[in-house]
Amino acid sequence: MRTRTWAPYALIAPTLVLMAVFLVYPIGSVVYYSLQRYNVTQPWKNGFAGLDNFKQMLFDDPLFWQSLAFSAKWVFVEVGLQLLLGLILALIVNETFIGRGMARALVFSPWAVSGVLTTGIWILLLNPSTGIFQELSKLGIGTPGTSVLGNPDTVFDALVVTELWRGVPFFAILLLADLQSIPKDLYEAASVDGASRWRRFTSVTLPHLKDAIILSTLLRAVWEFNNVDLIYTLTGGGPANQTTTLPLYVARQAVDSHNFGYGSALTIAGFLILLFFSILYLRVSKFGSRA
Amino acid sequence: MRKLLVAVAAAALALTACGSGDTSSGGTATITFWDNNGGPARQPIYEELIKRFEAANPDIKVEYVGIPSASVQQKYDTAIVGGETPDVGGVTTSYLAHLVGQDALAPLDDRISGGPLKDKLLPSLVETVRQTAPDNKLYIVPSSANMDLIWYRTDWFKDAGLEPPKTWDEFITAATKLTDTAANKYGYTIRGGAGSVFQLITEAYAYSGVDSFFKDGKSTLNDKANAELVDKVADLYKKATPEADVNNSFTQMIAQFTGGSVAMMHHNLGSYGDVTKALGDKVAAIPLPVGPSGKRTVVPNPTDGFAVFKNSENPDAAWKFAEFLTSAESNSYWNEKVGQIPANTDVRSEAWIESNAHVKMALGVLEDPATVLVPAPVYLPQYSSITKTDSEPQYQKVLLGELTGQQFLDEMAKKLTEAQKEWEDRK
Repeated sequence: MRTRTWAPYALIAPTLVLMAVFLVYPIGSVVYYSLQRYNVTQPWKNGFAGLDNFKQMLFDDPLFWQSLAFSAKWVFVEVGLQLLLGLILALIVNETFIGRGMARALVFSPWAVSGVLTTGIWILLLNPSTGIFQELSKLGIGTPGTSVLGNPDTVFDALVVTELWRGVPFFAILLLADLQSIPKDLYEAASVDGASRWRRFTSVTLPHLKDAIILSTLLRAVWEFNNVDLIYTLTGGGPANQTTTLPLYVARQAVDSHNFGYGSALTIAGFLILLFFSILYLRVSKFGSRA
Repeated sequence: MRKLLVAVAAAALALTACGSGDTSSGGTATITFWDNNGGPARQPIYEELIKRFEAANPDIKVEYVGIPSASVQQKYDTAIVGGETPDVGGVTTSYLAHLVGQDALAPLDDRISGGPLKDKLLPSLVETVRQTAPDNKLYIVPSSANMDLIWYRTDWFKDAGLEPPKTWDEFITAATKLTDTAANKYGYTIRGGAGSVFQLITEAYAYSGVDSFFKDGKSTLNDKANAELVDKVADLYKKATPEADVNNSFTQMIAQFTGGSVAMMHHNLGSYGDVTKALGDKVAAIPLPVGPSGKRTVVPNPTDGFAVFKNSENPDAAWKFAEFLTSAESNSYWNEKVGQIPANTDVRSEAWIESNAHVKMALGVLEDPATVLVPAPVYLPQYSSITKTDSEPQYQKVLLGELTGQQFLDEMAKKLTEAQKEWEDRK
């Protein structure tokens, strides 16, 4: 009996230690620094700041609100479109047709490409003097030298398309896996009852996919909110801050300006927002409960 | 918390940079040297110099560490927090004040004046280095200077029957004439992304002829003539420059020039290797044009040099190496390979300077008694955050026509004036 009292703790101890090292400590130190003035360019000013960083953020920093609004727009548009297109793709490659294996491989391939490579490919594609718009202009479509990333009217759409290319396969993979677990007899029974194709989709497929959709949209929303690599390499948050997300703004404050105190405060804001919406989303969508 | 962070950082550094700064057995001192612009271009130059140094000083071993220039300031910061700084490091005046502020460097005044480098260093560079520190001491021994200039395509100018521009008005005319957007040819390329404002400031002062950065404690940056130049350059955007310029950092800017779609590019001697490798003799350099005043005002580029770090366990050996790197022979070798202006005045008479048109041109400008140097206040701790983080997106607004040059400069000048006041009060 004695062994049972310590055995469970011993078994979870490695996990707890790892979580403490990689989760609790980093989060704790960010909370600590968010309450400090900590800027390595002006070490003589360092010290306890109380809530000053947060006051500045909320009442005296239009860029915070601007980047937050852009982040919200980015997450909403990206996740919505990725879900829609991912679902359509998953349904298509779930059908039986000649060359299905090939089609599946093609659908998933962007996901297998590393992030750095993805942005590299798109930088070349969107390059105004050698990329796709230059080729199009030779065919008489558009004007030569069009820079979609330099134009405030097109930069958002260009980024959305780029990120879709990488994000859609994620939904397609997850949803396809779940589609294949739907028992065939459910569809047969529905057909016997005279359900149309659309009716079978709304009454059998969608309810079955519910948990997968909730989980994947939540995961993706968090990832898209924290997405730095793609936007950073393509536009650096520009032109004129038009594509600056909150994490990019954090990077600019902490990494470029060495203002770690304020950068930490911004990070805490992002953390709390994500936490709040994650809990809300799981509650509202009744994740895990079968209707 | 801070202590723990320091401990973790130190442990991490100790694991990765095992053995640096140790004195090994047999009376041999090992010193670590950080190259602040590490890469395939500079590493062989330093390796050769280290070989020469070790041959002359068998009791000192030098460990070379190449740091990419983009992350060097961050690397120094981490090293300072972790107490694992190198013995000698390449440091430019653009982050010198930052390192001095963290009390990481040893002053070198006595060592320089007590050794062979006394009176052998370009006075203007020594002065620039002094001005960067709050106590006016020399925290680096200057080794090399750089200067802003315009690279231009000699073949394009010849074909169009144009002379290289001497004034900004000629420059704008040439840029406009050499543009043929349908053929993907542009007269000029603007750096609109990372690093844009540093370059813009040198352009503005070259045009305005305003001869000091502060007058009575107030920044002269928002001088009317400076704003005029900003508007003139912004006017060229999309008319005589590629649309993509608004996001251009150095890499994209130089790719457009070396790729052959642009006639003129503003950068400095540092891109000498890149442009000549791609364009050979079809490229030449001119100083930044002058404005209506006709005065030549130059905002000097950051000065390169070598620092000895306070934490060094072998400060004497460290200094010996720094001194060796700045000696006439090493300084000549290094600057000839890199194509920059040597700080050691004994190098001036060497043959390679005569045959390097760009360095000779830059030296000519610096030596001309009519030239007025207008050093930018890179010593201000907030200089980088004001001119980069805050101002680069604002400059993009100017290019996109959402802000005038005057509004843009007013905003930046106000912050610089405040920072300067704080600096004076702290002195």
